[in-house]
Amino acid sequence: MSRPAPCPIYTLRGAGAPLNTLHFRCPGGDTPLLFSGSAKGAIHMWNLNSRRAEMVVEGHCGNSVIWVSTLQSRDSLMSQGRDMQVCLWDLKEGRSEAVDSVWTGSVGFCQCSLLETSPSNYLLAFAGSQTEEIKIIEMPSKSPVSTLIPDTKLGMVMCIKLWKSDSGLGPLLFAGYEDGSLLLWDVTQRSELSHVKAHPEPIMCLTFDPRHLRGVSGSCEKKLSSWMLDNQNNIQLQDCVMLVNPGVSQLRIRDDSRLLASAGWDHRVRVFGWKKLQPLAVLQYHTDMVLSLAFSDHQDPRQRLLAAGSKDQRISLWSIYNERADTG
Amino acid sequence: MIVNSYRGWYEAVAHAVMPPVMSQINDPKVAFAYLRPVCVLLTKEPTVTNVETLSEQLKDVHEGSLQQLQEYVLFPLRFVLKVTGGKKEKLVQAVAEAVSYVLERTCVQSWDTLHDLFSELCSCLCSPTDPGKPADTSEELRSAMLRCLNALLHAAYGDIVFKLYEPRMLPELGAAISLLLILGEKDKSRDIQAAALKCLQSLILHCDCTQEHVVPSSDERCSVGGTMASFLPGITKALARIITGDLRQGHAVTVRAIKVWSRSVGLVMEDSQLQSRQSCKTPSSDLGRIRQLVVQRTPDWVKGTVEKLCVLLKRIISCTSAHQHWRVRLEMVELADHLLATCGQSLKECVGPLLEALVGAINDDEPRVRERCEVALRDVSQRNQSGTASKNLTDVLSENLHSLATSLPRLMRTSDDQKKLFVLNVFLGYLKVLGPLVSVVLNSAAHLDRISKALMQVLELDVMDVRIVEERSYTDPIDGYSSSHDSYTAHTQRKHFLYFTDEKIFSVLMEICRTLGYYGNIYLLTDHLLDLYRQSSAYRKPAAMVLNEMVRGAAGIAVAAPANRLDGSEFQGRSASTEDLKATVVSILEEYTSLNNWHLKTVSEETDTDRQDQKLLSPFRLQSISSGDIISSTANSLQVIPSSSTSPATPSSISTLLQLNSNIWQLCIQLEGVACFAQALRRDFRPLLMTSLYPVLEKAGEDTLLVSQAALSAMMDISKACGYSSLKDLINDNSDYLLNDISVNLQRLSQHPQAPRVLTVMLAHSDCSLLPLIRDIVQDVLMALDLSYDHSAALFCSVLHALMKALARWFPPSCCRTSKSLSFRTSAKQEDFDICQFLLDYHKQKELAEGTGIEEDETEDLEVPPPPECEDADDAGGRDVKAELPSHLSITKDIMERCIHLLSDPSLRLRLKVLDVLEQCVYVLSEREDELLPMAHRCWPALLQRLTDDPLAVLRAFRVLCTLGETCGDFLRRRVSKEVLPKLSSSLARQAPVSAKAGPVYTHTLAYKLQLAVLQGLGSLCQRLNLSEADLDAVCEACLPYLSCRQPIRLQEACLSVFRHLIQVDPDTFWFTLNEIHCPSSYTPPHPDLQPLQLSGMGRPRDEYSDNVLKLLREEFGSDSLTHNKPVI
Repeated sequence: MSRPAPCPIYTLRGAGAPLNTLHFRCPGGDTPLLFSGSAKGAIHMWNLNSRRAEMVVEGHCGNSVIWVSTLQSRDSLMSQGRDMQVCLWDLKEGRSEAVDSVWTGSVGFCQCSLLETSPSNYLLAFAGSQTEEIKIIEMPSKSPVSTLIPDTKLGMVMCIKLWKSDSGLGPLLFAGYEDGSLLLWDVTQRSELSHVKAHPEPIMCLTFDPRHLRGVSGSCEKKLSSWMLDNQNNIQLQDCVMLVNPGVSQLRIRDDSRLLASAGWDHRVRVFGWKKLQPLAVLQYHTDMVLSLAFSDHQDPRQRLLAAGSKDQRISLWSIYNERADTG
Repeated sequence: MIVNSYRGWYEAVAHAVMPPVMSQINDPKVAFAYLRPVCVLLTKEPTVTNVETLSEQLKDVHEGSLQQLQEYVLFPLRFVLKVTGGKKEKLVQAVAEAVSYVLERTCVQSWDTLHDLFSELCSCLCSPTDPGKPADTSEELRSAMLRCLNALLHAAYGDIVFKLYEPRMLPELGAAISLLLILGEKDKSRDIQAAALKCLQSLILHCDCTQEHVVPSSDERCSVGGTMASFLPGITKALARIITGDLRQGHAVTVRAIKVWSRSVGLVMEDSQLQSRQSCKTPSSDLGRIRQLVVQRTPDWVKGTVEKLCVLLKRIISCTSAHQHWRVRLEMVELADHLLATCGQSLKECVGPLLEALVGAINDDEPRVRERCEVALRDVSQRNQSGTASKNLTDVLSENLHSLATSLPRLMRTSDDQKKLFVLNVFLGYLKVLGPLVSVVLNSAAHLDRISKALMQVLELDVMDVRIVEERSYTDPIDGYSSSHDSYTAHTQRKHFLYFTDEKIFSVLMEICRTLGYYGNIYLLTDHLLDLYRQSSAYRKPAAMVLNEMVRGAAGIAVAAPANRLDGSEFQGRSASTEDLKATVVSILEEYTSLNNWHLKTVSEETDTDRQDQKLLSPFRLQSISSGDIISSTANSLQVIPSSSTSPATPSSISTLLQLNSNIWQLCIQLEGVACFAQALRRDFRPLLMTSLYPVLEKAGEDTLLVSQAALSAMMDISKACGYSSLKDLINDNSDYLLNDISVNLQRLSQHPQAPRVLTVMLAHSDCSLLPLIRDIVQDVLMALDLSYDHSAALFCSVLHALMKALARWFPPSCCRTSKSLSFRTSAKQEDFDICQFLLDYHKQKELAEGTGIEEDETEDLEVPPPPECEDADDAGGRDVKAELPSHLSITKDIMERCIHLLSDPSLRLRLKVLDVLEQCVYVLSEREDELLPMAHRCWPALLQRLTDDPLAVLRAFRVLCTLGETCGDFLRRRVSKEVLPKLSSSLARQAPVSAKAGPVYTHTLAYKLQLAVLQGLGSLCQRLNLSEADLDAVCEACLPYLSCRQPIRLQEACLSVFRHLIQVDPDTFWFTLNEIHCPSSYTPPHPDLQPLQLSGMGRPRDEYSDNVLKLLREEFGSDSLTHNKPVI
């Protein structure tokens, strides 16, 4: 690379525990926020203007928080902890109360997946109490939509991604399993649409770009596997991207479908062009495994940041490949 | 004078109702009868006595009656005047006083009386031979005459007084006026000068005394004005001469002259008169030659007169506006106000200078002048609002401003401080008068450019001072900062400017900047100034100064409450909103802290490191070390490197020196700027701390004294402005921001070499609440250190040192061992004095040893348990290895680990630093012996090496050893006695004969330095380690040769210190040892039963050791009589 490696524009510290999950929320005009969930059960709400934690929510009885997200429609936050609960928090006017919770029964590390179907309703997919079980419920009524159990033994559910295609089908779901299998489920029909073995090892993470019907998954090996859906909703494996060091904990595609970022166990965040998957940059700051990644959804493209949370208890914020911004 | 006549009547009534204590004659007839004889007598015999009798009697007559008898009484007096013709001065004076008395109490109703008296008085004033000149009479007489004349003018009845100003009176009037002017100008007495001018003032009907005066109608005023027009040139010229004349004449005369000048000009050039037709009416033709004297106030005449007046006015203004006496300046304000009010139209050309005079007084030191001036300016602006001239006035003001800005640099170069101050005050005054219109004026590019360039040139700094570069702060940040904040604030370097020295001038300039910021468009100004800032390095410093003050001004700080405004909008304050201000500050800060403008070279690099090395190795440094506690001795001294040590000044070095100086100043100004911005935004500045605090701290850690001081005071200002109670709060509250930058920059050390320094400063100013965050960063530091041992280990060592010092400060270990050894020592001391107790103890010990006193063992048992307890604790620590260490201890361990590696670094400087760090580590770790001992064990081999290193390192290694000894004495004692002491004592013993025989050159050899270092450290080491007797004997053996007076003096001193320490440990043994060498006195036992004492030193002749031995015995064991009782075993 011709240019020197960039520095993080800022690092957030003080979480006091490894950061399992990150989520941006940049409502128009308001202060951009970043939510982080730590291994000690704290959810931090970071104010990105003052760069300080504005609020800390202790929600899962000290159990590790593995997933946080916010609902577009409302000022509410969802968090999933290892205490087998998914909690819904009301954040209006600075409050921080748990208003609802769902028991998942899953002892694994599989993060939930959320799909907002209408302003008031949304679907929540999570791993169930049985090994291969995935449950989808409709919120806020908590009425079960479906339970997906594959026919063959695939091991634990490692990661899921709920999405809705434009083709008129109901919501679909990608699921990665412990034995490296990648499945596409039709949620309403409860049927397997496609099944491929993407990795020889457990799938650690996957992400999918509904616009281009392409996805990518990572495992604990030196390889990212990319795949795409054809017209018959079959998963077609495509090229692999080889990494220098093995292990990927999270993959994220930026909203504009131009960048892919991977959180590596080798302490590094790697950035790829999403189209051809050519490596663009290696972001080096952390001193331990990078566990989580998030791209900002800020309205101003120049303020769209990349956040990386690491086991070294820090979050680094990067301003990279923003529209002609010369920070890279 | 109607009023005047009424007054008499009124008072008559008053008297009738309430008769005074000493009743006056109120009946005219009685009064007549009473006065008649005297008047008759006076007419017959005009003598002083008679006049005085009359005066006395006049006092008995009431004013009402006096009025009726006025003509009668005045007659004899006037008669006397006529008869004497002014020959007999005494008489004339008495007469004049009597006349004054009468006139002051009555009024003149007939024109003839007025006319006659006027001419008679005038003729008495002028010299009989030359009517144009004043008579050469006594001062009292002239004074009396002037008083009389003044009384006459006041007494003249309203209808008749104007006859005085009829054209046919012109010659007489002219004579009187010229007479008065001459008196006013030339007379030797100030009182007479003033009285003459006062008279003149009465003559132009503008008297300002407390009496009541005729109020002329506009027609009357016009005719008086027309008449006075003839004399205007004479009056104004003469008065201008008086005003601009001798400064010693006293302010009263000058004030009076200015008043008369302004009133007479105001009378003649009055707008209302000139505009009405009457002023041009042709005089009647029956005047004859007098007609030539009459002046027609035609437009042409007015034009010519105004030109001349303008010249005079400028002269007057230039002479008085900076006058020392405030009454004169006040009178100038009055003049300007009066003229602008009455003849603003006719004196158009003079408006500029008049405004300038007004504006110049707006910043007057005297509040009364200022107030009057503000009122005047408000009037001016109101007048201009009501009329159409407002536009004109603004134009005049902005034009004046422009021309002033143009000439400002020239004036600043050429004139004296007084003048400069005035010019700047005027400049400021214009800005204040323009008020919000400043932003309109600045919209003109020409104005903006002129003004800013002028400021740039005026504020040029003098960067010749060499000391600035040379001054270094080797202050240890931690010790220095925490000890004395006051000294830092007090020691602020003054800026030296090329073109002025007066502090007042600087403060006015700064106020100009603030006013500009207050009224001007902040964006426009900022952009323009930042352009200048970028344009040339010459403008950079002044531009930054102006920007700083401007922002302060824009926030309304230290801007005088605006009183006058031309547009009259009372409540429109500063032009910039907080949002604007914030945006401006952000952009300026960005510019200031950008790489090119912030990371300036302030130290000539090639010399820096060498110099430090030299300093460390210089004998001076050694001396300071030997004098005891290094830290305390050097911490507070700001060391100035003597300039002799720098290379001789070649031209190139001078130029670089200037460059460095200029850089230093620029940094200082920019740091001040950050403080200014904080003051401007107050709490709103807090978010900006995210980006601005780090650079400031970066500079606070700089070596250059001036810069670090500026940074420190900036930090204090910031903390105050942002509402933090102390520097500590400021840093603690923002430590996350700082640590973030530090952490990021540590990873890119080659681009950001300052990061460790910032950490050092942070550590110096904060407290243990910072620890959780610090722990995080220390990992970064250590990692960065691990990655770059060879390049920046020295830099990191200073950070580690600072960190360890901070830890030692935050977590002082509970130091049990030192107190134990102390108590041991004190108990040993006490024993000295109690033989009985000693003998009893001795007896007990002996019994115990023989096994007789077993029953007493119980007491011993009580003392035994502690050791097992200790073992228990150790075991528990051993078992529970997983228990997490407190973070400061784990940090310390980590650091100590690095120190072990760095102890054998090839650079001496680094080794010394590491030894310092190691000492602190040991100190902090001493809290947990189970952690310390393994670490001590690990660093032992490397430390041992240092004991045979460079003398400097030896010394420090000793200190580390001592600290180690204090905390883990037992653990170390054996190693020291086995590995250290034999080596040292043998080398000492081996070298002793060499140094004893050596010449003076020996003190420059390494061997000598090593000897010295060892001797200096050995004593405290022995004391701290609590060594066994055998070891102490060995030490003593090795050191004894150095007590010889043949040794170099400093070795002797060091050896004495060894013995002092040894005596502390075991006084008895060494008392004995010393006495064995030389015993000054013989000891006779107190009781014949006791055996006489035999010491081998007794009776020995004086030898090479006796001096030092005696010294020790005297100092350490007090007088000889005390040693007398010494128990010896």
